[in-house]
Amino acid sequence: MSESNLVKTVRLSGELEIGRKDEIRRALAASTDGAPVLLDLSDVTYADSIALTELLRFCAEAERESRPVALVIQTPQFARLIQYAGLATVFKVFEHPTDALAYLTERLRQ
Amino acid sequence: MAGILATERTVSGRAGQLAPLAMTLGIMLLVVATLIAGGFLLRATVSKAFNDAERIRLARTHVAMMFAQQLNEETGLRGYAVVRLPIMLEPYYGGRANLPLYFRRVRADLTKLDIPSTLTALRDAGRTNYRWVHEIAFPIIRSRARHTTLELRGKVYVDRFRADTNAIDRALAARTVAVNTRAQGALLWIGGFAVAAVVAVILAATVFTIQQYRLGIRLEHERTAYETEKRIADILQDAFGERLLPSLPSVGFSATYVPATEQAKIGGDWYDALQLSEDRVLVAIGDVTGHGIDAVVAMNKARQLLIGYALIDATPAGVLERVNVDLVRGKSPLITAICGIINTRTREFAYACAGHPPPVVVEPQGHAKLLDFGSLPLGVAVKTDYHTSRVQLLPGAMLVLYTDGLIEHSRDLALGEAALLEAAEAVAALAAPDPAAEIRDRIFRDRKVSDDVAILTVRFAENSAGATSTRRIA
Repeated sequence: MSESNLVKTVRLSGELEIGRKDEIRRALAASTDGAPVLLDLSDVTYADSIALTELLRFCAEAERESRPVALVIQTPQFARLIQYAGLATVFKVFEHPTDALAYLTERLRQ
Repeated sequence: MAGILATERTVSGRAGQLAPLAMTLGIMLLVVATLIAGGFLLRATVSKAFNDAERIRLARTHVAMMFAQQLNEETGLRGYAVVRLPIMLEPYYGGRANLPLYFRRVRADLTKLDIPSTLTALRDAGRTNYRWVHEIAFPIIRSRARHTTLELRGKVYVDRFRADTNAIDRALAARTVAVNTRAQGALLWIGGFAVAAVVAVILAATVFTIQQYRLGIRLEHERTAYETEKRIADILQDAFGERLLPSLPSVGFSATYVPATEQAKIGGDWYDALQLSEDRVLVAIGDVTGHGIDAVVAMNKARQLLIGYALIDATPAGVLERVNVDLVRGKSPLITAICGIINTRTREFAYACAGHPPPVVVEPQGHAKLLDFGSLPLGVAVKTDYHTSRVQLLPGAMLVLYTDGLIEHSRDLALGEAALLEAAEAVAALAAPDPAAEIRDRIFRDRKVSDDVAILTVRFAENSAGATSTRRIA
């Protein structure tokens, strides 16, 4: 298995709203096996406070477990929301999945 | 935040309540569809049974006709053998002429009915008749004398032919019984399906009615609970929310709180402006992720902690860090906030931001801009660093703190920020007596208030000089 295969990718898209809370939780819960996580949010355009809370708590939990997490964000609206929530100050945020994967595989080698 | 959360509760609640109804309808439709499909299958079975029965009836008629032709042959020949008059052969010749036709018809019938044993018997009957004609009938007709031996052999052939035709007829009769049994079974199934369909529809209608009744009761309970909670939250929000703003000669304060309308509930948005010492004023604004009583209680706890720590810690970042630790340990909902300390003498605005939208500063010349922001909301992780930024404000400058409902009305923060900056510039230029209310009115003139909104403005008097700059320290 290559190092990139050891990275768990979670992909969410569209508008992350309270109605999708369970879906978001399930998606994030599927990646709690200790592997580094690439959180691909490239196609996310909006997230309400509930969705942001889920993302924040997931990232904070991963941080506590010393599990690398990389976020991929491309839409300017969502990038601004992430800036507000302070995620970009604490977690690694990338514009392209390849950069995020490179970062996580580098972390795996360390 | 509160407004969005309130919507969630409504949506997920309705969805959860309507699920059993939808499931009942789905099951009912499935049952009906199954019954209809089953009905069509059974109808096809019955139709085939009727067709087969008709084909068998026709085949048996043809077998009888075949038998009759052979009987004509045999009786004609037997009469001729006794009296030797050619006229006696007429039935014989008639039978010979017609027999091939009925052989063909019977073969076609049996092939369609697919009864292999009958086709074997038919072939045997054909061969037997051929041998009877050539070995018995022809010699007798050609001879002038009577041939008793031949006639006895002919009787053996005739018996064999009749045995074959009888075997065919018995097989056809047996097939008739099988077809009738199948048709009767299908008819019974159709009757059963009809009864099952009626029972299924009655059951589904009953379950649907019961569920609808229960849903009505539950919705009524939820409506009552919602109204009760909203009333309590309103009271708490009124009790906790109203704070007197400082009245100072060098700095003017204004604030407003706009509750979300309609389905949304009272949330945890708040603001504070409190004079800590002669020239230090605490300004704070925050937003609890949540709604109703829980949010209002969490809001009250957070603001009390914030005020309490502001009295013993000089830096906004230090205040937020202390508040954050308490909130994380108390398993508080997430809270975004800004804690700021204004030095009314030097006009320095020191602030720290916890996941909250950035403050706006309107320069005395009228240009509005967003200040720095960042760091995680309160209540996420104990080990969270907050940073104090320091802004030197000019005389006449106006500071605007607000919650996200003011800029998230279109879900596009860039549009929301642009509208806010435009409104802030316009209000600052007007020197309105209540800038917070003026900004609120301008933003929501053509927009719906979908989330709670709190706005706090701080305006410096225009009687001293200074420079505007921002410094950020850890």
